[in-house]
Amino acid sequence: MSAVDYLLQESAVGYGLYQVVNQADTIGNRLKEVQEAALDLAKFGKMVKLVSFAPFKGAAEALENANDISEGIVSEQLKALLELNLPKGGKKKRVVLGIVDKNLAQSIKAEFPGVDCETNEVVQDLLRGLRLHGPKLLKQLADGDMDRAQLGLGHAYSRAKVKFSVQKNDNHII
Amino acid sequence: ARGGARGGAKVIVEPHRHAGIFVARGKEDMLVTKNLTPGESVYGEKRISVDAPATGEDGAATKIEYRVWNPFRSKLAAGVLGGLENIYIQPGAKVLYIGAASGTSVSHVADIVGPTGNVYAVEFSHRSGRDLINMAKKRTNVIPIIEDARHPMKYRMLIGMVDAVFADVAQPDQARIVGLNCHLFLKDQGGVLISIKANCIDSTAPAAAVFAKEVQKMREEKIKPSEQLTLEPFERDHCIVVGKYNRSA
Repeated sequence: MSAVDYLLQESAVGYGLYQVVNQADTIGNRLKEVQEAALDLAKFGKMVKLVSFAPFKGAAEALENANDISEGIVSEQLKALLELNLPKGGKKKRVVLGIVDKNLAQSIKAEFPGVDCETNEVVQDLLRGLRLHGPKLLKQLADGDMDRAQLGLGHAYSRAKVKFSVQKNDNHII
Repeated sequence: ARGGARGGAKVIVEPHRHAGIFVARGKEDMLVTKNLTPGESVYGEKRISVDAPATGEDGAATKIEYRVWNPFRSKLAAGVLGGLENIYIQPGAKVLYIGAASGTSVSHVADIVGPTGNVYAVEFSHRSGRDLINMAKKRTNVIPIIEDARHPMKYRMLIGMVDAVFADVAQPDQARIVGLNCHLFLKDQGGVLISIKANCIDSTAPAAAVFAKEVQKMREEKIKPSEQLTLEPFERDHCIVVGKYNRSA
């Protein structure tokens, strides 16, 4: 198994690209100690390093990206972030990017032939850590920013899904 | 409990064993939660206003409003009345609620977790989803997600790590659905509560056999079951199973 070089995290505030500094080995991954270390910010902070963070510029952009991510499509913003920050992989040294979704993995491979996408259990665990600690690892975020972004995006995303008018406030079905 | 809440002066509200839940003791005892949006009911439920102990310096009596939580309409309320040991849903917690429907139970969960907590409410049906969105407009700690819970990848951008997962989906493959969501969003050692309706899984087998099979399926999804409670007399052939998510299992 090849080691994972980078991690992509999609969140309500934007895309974060992290470098894996210190990877736990595959065999120990299911150990209790390893799982507990992932819960500890101090320990987890030593395993990954933020390379770049691309915040969404507004609610509309966030919604567009949420829809693209939901369908496994590489959006313009994501493409720009990866182009800027990932080293160009060659024949010998491939860059391995860890992501959570297999559909998105295929789309990224199609856009970036030099990048290998990995979605195995080690990656999933690292990304779980990012989901837990992400708001603290992104220094430019204030407390509660993530919650507000999720709230706004959740409403926008859901409203778009419910085809008929949300303004029509009819009675509850009991 | 209809009609029992009249005469507010006679009602005394005491905290329940589970933080964030209260018991109103009047003519008959009722389960209540502290209303996040005082003055408003969500689905026509009764509200009880009691005088708060005067803590302010001016000694002005303030009112605290509670909403009655009907165990015949909410499986979680039935579980609490039935005596669940751990519910993992407490003030400040982040909860993923799968199968949110119109958001009636969700509104009580939102009351319990309070302004510092969050409820991510997932519902697939557009019809009830609309009511859910309208409820969430008033309660800013509820994040509505209209999407199929079978595909948590689709809404992964909207959710952070959660402390507890509550599922009331009544689908044959519900253990798998819950598992998928736990692997993505639930903290290691986080709580899982699943409501199981025997008829929805297998209408031919006896309820007890269905429950046992579902518990086995939960184990395979790294959920360590700790208690199983029947929802009699509030629901027939229903149970709630509570467990802990054990990532290192």
